[in-house]
Amino acid sequence: MPLSLPGYAGDWLERGLDRQLRLAVTGLSRAGKTAFLTSLVNQLRHAGLDARLELMGCVREGRLLGAMRQSQPDLSVPRFPYDEALASLEGTPPGWPSPTRGISELRLSIRYKSRAGSRHLFGEQRSLTLDLIDYPGEWLLDLPMLQLDYWQWCEQMAGQLRGRRRSYAEDFLRHAERLDPAADADEQQLADISARYADSLASARNEGGYTWVQPGRFLLPGELDGAPVLQFFPLPAIAEHSRTALDALPASSNYQTLARRFEHYKRTVITPFYRQYFRRFDRQIVLVDVLSALNAGPDVFDDLRQAIATLMQSFDYGNRSLLSRLFQPRIDRLAIAATKADHVTPEQHANLLSLVEALMAEPLRDLRYANIPVRALSLAAIRATSARQVEHHGERHAALKGTTLDGEEVLMFPGEVPSRLPDADFWQRQGFDFTAFRPAPQAAGEALPHIRMDSALDWLLGDKLR
Amino acid sequence: MSDPRPGKRFTFEAGSAGDAHRRDDREALFTPADPAPGERYSLEAVHHPLEEPTETPVDSALDRALAHPRKRHRGLLTVLLGTLIVGGVQAFETLSNAWLGGDLLAGAWSVLGLGVITLAASALGRELLKLRRLRRHARLRERVEARLDDDSLDGRKMHALCDRLRQQMGLSDRDPHWQDFKKAHQQHHDATETRALFAHYVLAPRDARARALITRMSGETAMLVAISPLTITDMGLMAWRNLRMIDRLADLYGLELGYASRLTLFRTVLANMAFAGASEIATEASMDLLSMNLAGKLSSRAGQGLASGLLTARLGIRALKMLRPLPFEDERAPKISDLRRQLWQQMKRVDEGKRDTP
Repeated sequence: MPLSLPGYAGDWLERGLDRQLRLAVTGLSRAGKTAFLTSLVNQLRHAGLDARLELMGCVREGRLLGAMRQSQPDLSVPRFPYDEALASLEGTPPGWPSPTRGISELRLSIRYKSRAGSRHLFGEQRSLTLDLIDYPGEWLLDLPMLQLDYWQWCEQMAGQLRGRRRSYAEDFLRHAERLDPAADADEQQLADISARYADSLASARNEGGYTWVQPGRFLLPGELDGAPVLQFFPLPAIAEHSRTALDALPASSNYQTLARRFEHYKRTVITPFYRQYFRRFDRQIVLVDVLSALNAGPDVFDDLRQAIATLMQSFDYGNRSLLSRLFQPRIDRLAIAATKADHVTPEQHANLLSLVEALMAEPLRDLRYANIPVRALSLAAIRATSARQVEHHGERHAALKGTTLDGEEVLMFPGEVPSRLPDADFWQRQGFDFTAFRPAPQAAGEALPHIRMDSALDWLLGDKLR
Repeated sequence: MSDPRPGKRFTFEAGSAGDAHRRDDREALFTPADPAPGERYSLEAVHHPLEEPTETPVDSALDRALAHPRKRHRGLLTVLLGTLIVGGVQAFETLSNAWLGGDLLAGAWSVLGLGVITLAASALGRELLKLRRLRRHARLRERVEARLDDDSLDGRKMHALCDRLRQQMGLSDRDPHWQDFKKAHQQHHDATETRALFAHYVLAPRDARARALITRMSGETAMLVAISPLTITDMGLMAWRNLRMIDRLADLYGLELGYASRLTLFRTVLANMAFAGASEIATEASMDLLSMNLAGKLSSRAGQGLASGLLTARLGIRALKMLRPLPFEDERAPKISDLRRQLWQQMKRVDEGKRDTP
């Protein structure tokens, strides 16, 4: 990261004094990262004024003075489009912030009054610098690829192409199965099959709702569009060949060419991304969109569970000390959030919470082993609905009032959330259909409504705002 | 020596005999009661989930303290009430007879008696009422505590519970703190969050006042005990200040203490009194024994005063924990160490003030 020496030293000092935090906002695409970041900046800007942050200890005690966007350390990275996101939320009709297509950074300086005994020495006012980055969730799924080589990756991908998901990849499979790994590579043919592979990923992602699509750059290539580094794909019939035979093939063969490109992709695309943005986190919030996964069905749900479990292995967890803070930052506190909690009625939040805990059971066990405090919350970064009670046949029922994405105003009970994963029987009987809402109309310059953002912020930052 | 020495070997016969013996034992133990191994039942057979022994409900210390005297006093209360009623009827009869017979003196006596009986009955009634209120308070508090782990308690039910706590505390719906809480509470808040908000908006201001009260009163006790020269005054002061403090703390949380709840705290008061008396005597004796100079005497008196103050503060904290409608969350509970520093500073301030104005 290009940094001037004084700036670097300043950062180091801040880190040493524990006044700088990097928050990892982790979530697959459409999990609500951009909304979370927008809301976070908005709430902290409005803290102590009109933001509803009662569950944040230092706001309740009147010690949080506010937050300011600062110039970010790395000037070559775009700034997080906060104003644009806010503009689309405040527009008519209001809309969700547009999906992220590239990396952006944000540095926030939070100022607060200290409660600690040493305030006479350092003065009452303190500030905490919070570094945030936003990135396309699709790219995040590349991180687990770093631990695989091409052969292993092919095996994993071939295992994935089963059941309903296979139907999205028919076209690709037809062409890929005809490809002989030992034959000399034909650039045109490889490019053609790669394009079909990318299409199959896109339709699995957009139509099927699957989240585990690798490589993520195929969906959002950015400046790499058309470059050979993006022209590779997994060989679906890899199991029919022995690994040693494939490894012995000449460098010009299809298999070796694809393997080379895979390694190149790992080296030049994933590694820099990982190194620059994903290694130095202090806190993490994992956003999981459980409702969409429930809507999409059991295999998507399972796919999400696996994707998250694999993903969580890409982060360093451990307790912090002064030395590790300076030289090898690690995540020492974690929040797991079931997002879009405003899409269900409040009494379903407890179920939502236990469902997300069930979904994350495997990573949670690892975290418990690493002695990392974890908290699960149901969260809506920007609340789109309001909770109501409807009189129906003389009884009161919980309901939501909001506007659907098509612009229809509705008063409805969106459905019950199961407290654990339903069995196969249930999926065949009914399944889920949670409605998507668009944001509620928002007066310009007012704090965004939310559910439990304050709780999340208190958990993630509260101990540094003492 | 009966222990086997190291390296001692036993014959095989002895070992095998033991084995055989053990096998017999096992057979004897298992054959009669067990069903045949591998027995299967049809799925249609009536079966229940394994019943677990239900736990006997554990009462809190307060509940035990409340329940115990009630059992013991039931007979006494009946006698007392019966006497009062019979006495009242008798007095009334005497009064009517006196009225009819024109015996003015007897009439006056019976009016007086009737007045006394009314007073006694109303005092008793008040006491019972207070006791009932305290018991209700304790029960509500326990329910809040017990149901926090319960999943079925959502934000709305917790809010209703908080509302009942508010009524119990004697706060009106328009109380500013309660209004703040209502403003802060949102529909989606769950039980824990609602409780935290209630603790912050409604209880925290009272906690702060209670804490200040404890510091102030324990400081006063410390000063008075330090100054007073007589053992008996020390004990009296301790009793007076301690009881007064408990009453005022209860007042702060909108509770009136009855005899039973006082009784549990009163035991501590008695212990404190005993300490004040004993330490006074010990100080006197040691001062005589060591033939201290004036400064030494003063400082040992100050020490005695400080200790009494600390004991008062401890009693205050105990009372506070008992009277607060919701139990403290772990780190927020007032600690004796915080109060100790404040107490010490208060005493030092008085000391400096004395020096400034000779």
